[in-house]
Amino acid sequence: MQGDTLESAQLKILEGVKLGLRRSARELSQWKLYKSAKWSAEALHGLTNVTIDTNAADSSTTQDNDSPLRNRINMAIPSSPQVPAEQVSGPYMGLTESEYDLYLFISTLFDCKEFDRCVFFLRDAEEPRLKFLQFYSEYLSWDKKTRESTENVLMTGKPDKKSEKELSEKHLLGSNFLQDNTQKQSEGVFTSETGQQTSLAIILNELRVYLKKLDQRSANTLGLALLHYLKGVLLNRQGNKSHALSAFLESLSYYTFNWTCWLELLDCITRPDESSLILRHLNEKFIIKGDEPVSQNVPENNIMLQFFKLALLQEFNYSGSVDEFFFILENLLILLPNFTYLKSQSAIMNYNYMDYSVAENIFDNIFKCDPYRLEDLDIYSNILYVMQKHSKLAYLAQYVSHVDRFRPETCCIVANYYSARQEHEKSIMYFRRALVLNKKSTSAWTLMGHEFVELKNSHAAIECYRRAVDINERDYKAWFGLGQAYEVLDMHLYSLYYFQKACTLKPLDRRMWQALAECYGLLKNSEQAIECYRRALQLSSNAGQDVLLLFRMAEQYELILDIESCKQNMLKCVALEDSSDGSFVTDETVKARLWLARYEMRMHNYQEAYDYAKRISNGTSQEIEEARTIARNCRQLFN
Amino acid sequence: MRNPMSPGDTPSQRHSTLTISPFISNRSARNHSTSQHQIPAASHGDRLNGERTDPPAAGNRSLSGALNPFHTLINSPLGQKVTKTLSVSSFNTPHQVKVHNGGGNNTSRNNMFGYTVPSTLRKVSLQREYKDPSNFIPKGSSAPQQQDLPGDPSTTTLTTNTVATTAANEIDISELSSVDKLRYWRHDALMQHMLTTAEYVGDKVYSITGDPNDAFWLAQVYYNKGEYIRAINYMAIDSLDSVNVMCRYLMGLCLIELQRYDDALDVVGETNPYASEEIPSAHISEDTETSRSQETTDGGVKLESSLCFLRGKIFCALNNFSSAKDAFKEAIAIDVKNFEAFNELTSKSLLTPQQEWDLIETLDFSILDDNEDIIKNFYVLRLSKLINKERTEAAQRLLAEEYNLDSNVDYIHSNIEILFSQCKFGECLHVCEAYLSKDEFNPKILPIYISCLYEVSAKNKLFLLSHQLTEKFPKKAISWFSVATYYMCMSKLQEARTFFAKSSMLDPTFAPAWLGFAHTYALEGEQDQALSAYSTAARFFPGSHLPNLFLGMQYMSSNTLSLAEEYFTLAYDICDRDPLVLNEMGVMYYKKEDYEKSKKFLKRAAEETRELDSNSKTAISIQTNLGHTYKKLGDYEHAIKCFKYILEDSERDVDTYCTLGFLYLKTNQLQKAVDILHRALAIEPSNQNANEMLVRALELNVAKELDSDHPLVMNSYEMNPLKNRDNTALSRKRTLMPFLQSSGLSKRSKRNEHGPIESPLEGPSKVPSTETNNEMMDLE
Repeated sequence: MQGDTLESAQLKILEGVKLGLRRSARELSQWKLYKSAKWSAEALHGLTNVTIDTNAADSSTTQDNDSPLRNRINMAIPSSPQVPAEQVSGPYMGLTESEYDLYLFISTLFDCKEFDRCVFFLRDAEEPRLKFLQFYSEYLSWDKKTRESTENVLMTGKPDKKSEKELSEKHLLGSNFLQDNTQKQSEGVFTSETGQQTSLAIILNELRVYLKKLDQRSANTLGLALLHYLKGVLLNRQGNKSHALSAFLESLSYYTFNWTCWLELLDCITRPDESSLILRHLNEKFIIKGDEPVSQNVPENNIMLQFFKLALLQEFNYSGSVDEFFFILENLLILLPNFTYLKSQSAIMNYNYMDYSVAENIFDNIFKCDPYRLEDLDIYSNILYVMQKHSKLAYLAQYVSHVDRFRPETCCIVANYYSARQEHEKSIMYFRRALVLNKKSTSAWTLMGHEFVELKNSHAAIECYRRAVDINERDYKAWFGLGQAYEVLDMHLYSLYYFQKACTLKPLDRRMWQALAECYGLLKNSEQAIECYRRALQLSSNAGQDVLLLFRMAEQYELILDIESCKQNMLKCVALEDSSDGSFVTDETVKARLWLARYEMRMHNYQEAYDYAKRISNGTSQEIEEARTIARNCRQLFN
Repeated sequence: MRNPMSPGDTPSQRHSTLTISPFISNRSARNHSTSQHQIPAASHGDRLNGERTDPPAAGNRSLSGALNPFHTLINSPLGQKVTKTLSVSSFNTPHQVKVHNGGGNNTSRNNMFGYTVPSTLRKVSLQREYKDPSNFIPKGSSAPQQQDLPGDPSTTTLTTNTVATTAANEIDISELSSVDKLRYWRHDALMQHMLTTAEYVGDKVYSITGDPNDAFWLAQVYYNKGEYIRAINYMAIDSLDSVNVMCRYLMGLCLIELQRYDDALDVVGETNPYASEEIPSAHISEDTETSRSQETTDGGVKLESSLCFLRGKIFCALNNFSSAKDAFKEAIAIDVKNFEAFNELTSKSLLTPQQEWDLIETLDFSILDDNEDIIKNFYVLRLSKLINKERTEAAQRLLAEEYNLDSNVDYIHSNIEILFSQCKFGECLHVCEAYLSKDEFNPKILPIYISCLYEVSAKNKLFLLSHQLTEKFPKKAISWFSVATYYMCMSKLQEARTFFAKSSMLDPTFAPAWLGFAHTYALEGEQDQALSAYSTAARFFPGSHLPNLFLGMQYMSSNTLSLAEEYFTLAYDICDRDPLVLNEMGVMYYKKEDYEKSKKFLKRAAEETRELDSNSKTAISIQTNLGHTYKKLGDYEHAIKCFKYILEDSERDVDTYCTLGFLYLKTNQLQKAVDILHRALAIEPSNQNANEMLVRALELNVAKELDSDHPLVMNSYEMNPLKNRDNTALSRKRTLMPFLQSSGLSKRSKRNEHGPIESPLEGPSKVPSTETNNEMMDLE
């Protein structure tokens, strides 16, 4: 129909995407951003099969791109000038001969994880990309050293939860010694015995000084992108999110095909309102300065931007976001029908909206197409857990531990399995293992918190949740968990705050408002409680819930002596019950009736009071007893 | 103009010891044998040459002089100097040296100072010798025993070695009198540190001649042997010291070595006896002017100046620092070449930075001729880096660019000092290590290097260095200073104190050790000891503001604010640009609750630290203090800015978080307050303040109405698609995300780069910081 034009336009885009992905897979692995490179290569693999006959040179690079190893061989061969994306031309990737030799040396050192040596040999390098490797190695070395000193804490510190329990109430809000340590370490200066100091701040400073000196225009765009990316990573690690955000945006404007950079950018966004702002910014102000392949150098067409929007919508959902999400997803699927990442995104979205069976189906599909892909499978296990498909979960757990026992995902899945079997201690052990492997896994922290709740260890649970929100402020489950845990401890002041946090993240979720309302009620702030109940009612779609909410609201009205409003709510309660033909007879409706009966009696409307009291047939013996008494009295009185 | 010394004559204070080197006496003895003797001498020299050594390779003829036994003299540094003054080319052409050294292996054979002057140059020197012999005398340092001196034109003879070497001619030893031969023998033996030989021969010469100069040389030998008492006795017997300035100087030196300072002072005199002479001589006549200029070209250090220096040293040893200072100043004023005195003045903190710079203005470098520029600039490099930074830098640039002297130790030293004073420890270490790889135990570099190691707490390196130093230089103050610093690093105060004490015992004028010693007390909270230690330091180092500063800090920590103020003012008078001083002043006024003044000083301090690394402890603590001051002044917005700035780049600190939380609470930004307080508690769960404030914030949070201003409500509007179009809500949000406006973006990234610079301007910062300051300046 729209036929050829659309087709050709799409082809053009496809071509650009292909070139971009191919180039990034090669370049990013050259410069040691393996995760991004993997993602690009995976995406490349998932591209639609339509072959584009551009030219022979192109297809030859296709083959080469499949393995990074061959890429390296390929680098030595002058790449064909026909490929416009080939900014890195010449045998030495745009480096001078000696720089290139240095690069080869450093590259092997890096691969052998000898970061300090990398730093040492690169100390005089001036080329932006080499400089990036230097700072990056410096950072990794620092990271490794600090981690080595904190890992001990994690392993040895955790088991004695008892001491943690002993912390007095006062300390609860703060975290235990464990956090104490890691926090300090991660911020701290690592001083080697030789007086070589490294800390984030120091690396960051060097980086800034270098960037300042660097001639932005003449420098290699990839180099600039890498340096800004690293700057962002460092800033983010320091907790300076807003600056990190601008650094990432800067980096992306030089080089869009860097997926981890997009992810880091996403990580910088903590509030839902920020998400819409960043989207706007990307739509309106984002300029691509780097030389991307044709069709990818305009933001509207840039596929990475689409991917980012997808991820953003998945993380932050507001009404309408679902439709947008699926719209983008479909578009992307046309281009990359075999890209597993897209499938798992859609599964996660479904999971977020509690559409478990769809999510499960998608995961089943992924599992078939790419059986050894462990990423996101922990979410699959969550789904199975929630759906109580224990046997399937058991199979999954067995299977993944055969694939790779030491992946954080594997540990999470096994932990879920044990949790499903009510073996919470073991489950916690596995979560802890997962965290050793990846300390940034929020879901593991949150789930571990849930396990502690199961074990009635609120303090430990709080600790876990807190770690989760420290890592990812967007995790509403953890905030909510925190609120609940404090509620158990009768510390409503605190739980209110956490519920507020959760509610900020999920303003369209009834549960959040309800929890908030109850909390306000407990804190004797009835006005706010009523307000929250009202909101919860707006969002509620379930009559059974409505009854409860209405009744609670009425209670609050009673407390502020607004008897009229109270009565209205009680009436609504009863009306709801009536309208449902008695299928909703709950404790609340009983209580509502009882209240109304008492009220009418006090108002000397004995007939009404009698009617209400008469209908009370359920409830506790006391209530029934009271109802009977009222009925009896009423009868006597109006008789 | 003075006449050359006759045998019995002694040099006056206006001369250096060059006057009485053996050749002088020799010269007069052979007054008659002028140039007509030279030709025979030449042939003779050649003959000798042939006899004594294997014939040098062809083309080495010009080197024949090098093989002559008089070589020690001929080729003593003087020879080099001669060529220097004559030809600029030889000045910076080291290859000549190489050629000559390589050309004949004479060096090892005949003497220690293997250096030959190319014959052409010698010729030139000869010609000039006839015209104006005074050109030849440029010896710079005080090495009395090794120099000879040209006489005035009328008496120009063989006595100057340059003459001897002219036209490849040599002094014919056989031409000399027997006594002179002995003198040469004695002199060469002394040169080669064959002291017993020298003593033996010197004794014989003196017995033969009874010449006081010979007595002096004998005493010199005794001095070199370390037999000071004998030297004194020797000179005393003939009461040489009363007639001979030179002897008096030597006697003073001996007495100082023996630590008989009062006696030494008697010998040297409490004041400069020639000072009065000076004035008449200045206005006596214009003709003395010429003679003076002639005199000054006597390349040595004037004895008068040396004597003044000696006096200064004695005063120093007697702890009379103001007199010492005056004496040194006099010494350097009389003769700029007296670097010894200049060194004492600058390195021992006798002068305040301002005085140092004033001093250099008054000095007259013109007598240095061609070297004027270079030496003056090097002197400038020695001055305090706390003020006149531009001039230091200008001097550096000049030396580096015009003279290529950027690898000279003094140049590097000044570089290191600047880096250190800017708290760029990493870089400083780097430079230090680069230099120390060439000269491992350079005493100028080591103190700063050690302080640097302390700053970055490089325990391991300190450990190794201390061991090496104590093994190799157990008698040096610096070795034990290093050990003490190591212990400081390990926070073993007791041991540290012991070694600081040892270090300052070995060299009482070594300021860092004194301060370290006092710090150990201060850190232990021993108020009284710390105070007395600091005040001793203040007495010893009147030019340094640090002791006063630390005294003030001590008084402040004991809340004796008026005394503290006094000391801070003293420190401030000495150096009004040190951010530390300004910071402490600010803190003091803060404590006195004079917040406006406090703000003033802290702001200045912040400006001074702008060039520093933003992570340095100083910059951070100044910002903190300023923040607190703003807080007290009720300027919460500025205060918040300060604290946010601190948190941006530096290490996390509970107190900072608490204060920031408090400020947010004050400004009713509850969400932020709670978040920040949580972070504080994450670091230190038991923090009472944070807990209390948190509860307060949460209570307020409960009471806060859920009206349209509540963040929660606003947020839900945002999320609600129906009201999403609500422009007001959006624009309000927008202000929270500055990256959206394109200008905001650039501003932000800019701020990133200059973060440390911009903020301090507005910025405020912390009160409990004296402790950290203390540490950081510890070893300066």
